[in-house]
Amino acid sequence: MIWTLRISSLSLQISRQGVLTGLGLGSVLLAAASLALTTGSYPLSLAQILGVLLGDGSPPQQMIVLDYQLPRILTALGAGAAFDPSGAMFQLMMRNPLAAPDVIGFNAGASCGALCAMILTGGMVLPGAIAGALLTAGAVTLLAWKDGLLPERLISRMDVLSAADMAQWLTGSLNARTWHDAELVWSGLAVLVPLSLWLHFPLTRLAMDDGIATSLGLPLTRLRLAVTATGILLGAAASGALIALLTDSAARALPMVQLPAGVFTALIGAPLLLWLLAAHVRNGAI
Amino acid sequence: MPATARLYAEALSVAYARAPVLDHLSAEIPDGALTVIAGLNGCGKSTLLRSLDGKAIHRQRSRAVARKLAILPQSPAAPEGLTVRDLAARGRTPYQSALRQWSNQDAAAVEQALELTGMVSWAGRPLESLSGGQRQRAWIAMALAQDTEILLLDEPTTYLDLPHQIELLKLVQKLNRETGRTVAMVLHDINLAARFANHVLALKDGRVFCQGRPGEIVTETVMQSVFGLACRVIADPVHGAPYVIPL
Repeated sequence: MIWTLRISSLSLQISRQGVLTGLGLGSVLLAAASLALTTGSYPLSLAQILGVLLGDGSPPQQMIVLDYQLPRILTALGAGAAFDPSGAMFQLMMRNPLAAPDVIGFNAGASCGALCAMILTGGMVLPGAIAGALLTAGAVTLLAWKDGLLPERLISRMDVLSAADMAQWLTGSLNARTWHDAELVWSGLAVLVPLSLWLHFPLTRLAMDDGIATSLGLPLTRLRLAVTATGILLGAAASGALIALLTDSAARALPMVQLPAGVFTALIGAPLLLWLLAAHVRNGAI
Repeated sequence: MPATARLYAEALSVAYARAPVLDHLSAEIPDGALTVIAGLNGCGKSTLLRSLDGKAIHRQRSRAVARKLAILPQSPAAPEGLTVRDLAARGRTPYQSALRQWSNQDAAAVEQALELTGMVSWAGRPLESLSGGQRQRAWIAMALAQDTEILLLDEPTTYLDLPHQIELLKLVQKLNRETGRTVAMVLHDINLAARFANHVLALKDGRVFCQGRPGEIVTETVMQSVFGLACRVIADPVHGAPYVIPL
């Protein structure tokens, strides 16, 4: 079931399934966020939280909600909101339902960049992640370029790079999240989400045969470059925020006061690295 | 070039990885005609078809060209679950954008394309649930919805059994006659080409060997030189077209 919205000569098509799924998942998200806010080592009721948001509440309550919980939840939401269009765009472009920034290696580059930035500057996780992803993407695009950008070539080149970057997961240490990360993620989203919505329309047409897409007048290479750039930036924002968040939360959830974040990134990174290596061995690439 | 042909190639050379496929080829596709491009495998038929918009293969084609010329590649692929109507709607892409996703003209053109191809009652069915012949008609509906003056088809009868080949070629002939579209297609079966085409372009080694009406081209001498085929050519007792009997 497709709805068509018309305002003079402008028209948009929206699927009912998409709207219903969005509403359903949105309510789940709201419930999960409420649960996260009302549980924890210093539980507050929803009424108390609402009070703080409206400007009331005791100073400790304000500190917990405004300095710790809210920025972290917003960073997490931002990470999710960035990962989703990024993955969807790569899947459509590669005509491969398994393609995603994490499989493809862009966010291995992002992780590498984030961790390098942490080590070198002691902060700057998100800028580091974006730089890492862009460097990886540049390398991948250069390797895959031959008379234009072809999806099969892109996917095989990205596979090779991700294994190399994965090794960088095993180092690093993080500080607590602040509003800074949330602001960075959401200002990135404000630019990139409208861009990805704009690209979605030609991209669904590109998901057909290359010959058909050419016949329909789509600029194949220009479109793939735009999609790759947008997808990488989104993926970088997402993985930067997520790395920061995951390692930080995990370190807090355990009884020890401050564990080096590298221990937790290793817990995530080592299995992924092993899995990637196994995949390469199976494919006969190593 | 004569005023009757809007589509022509002049001294066209194309190479894949430095292996020349077309060699200073000059050809014209007569306006309003149903042209068949014939020749051996690898003689450059498909390459010629794909080069006919004046740009090299793999280069992009503008929306303006896409509104004048539609090309249906050989056995194209579509995402799973796409219905016939959705497929036909994709033909409207050159008229659409992210902010103009579905106009009334789009809807009208799609319905007309489904009607012309006899696919109205199959419109809601996913492509993969259809037979080969119906699927090919659905692709042609997409090309028709693109609303172009020129339609290029690369071996539209591939993988179809004989009754469906005939059905499809009758459809193409109907479109050519009733909508006045210029049609050019690559076809392997020389007897079907002789029966349905009113212009035949015989290619050999990346050049046009000869072109003209089927009666002038489908002859024993041309079959021998273009295909290396020893044959006898008789008049088809039903349609009068030349009919090749290989020896």
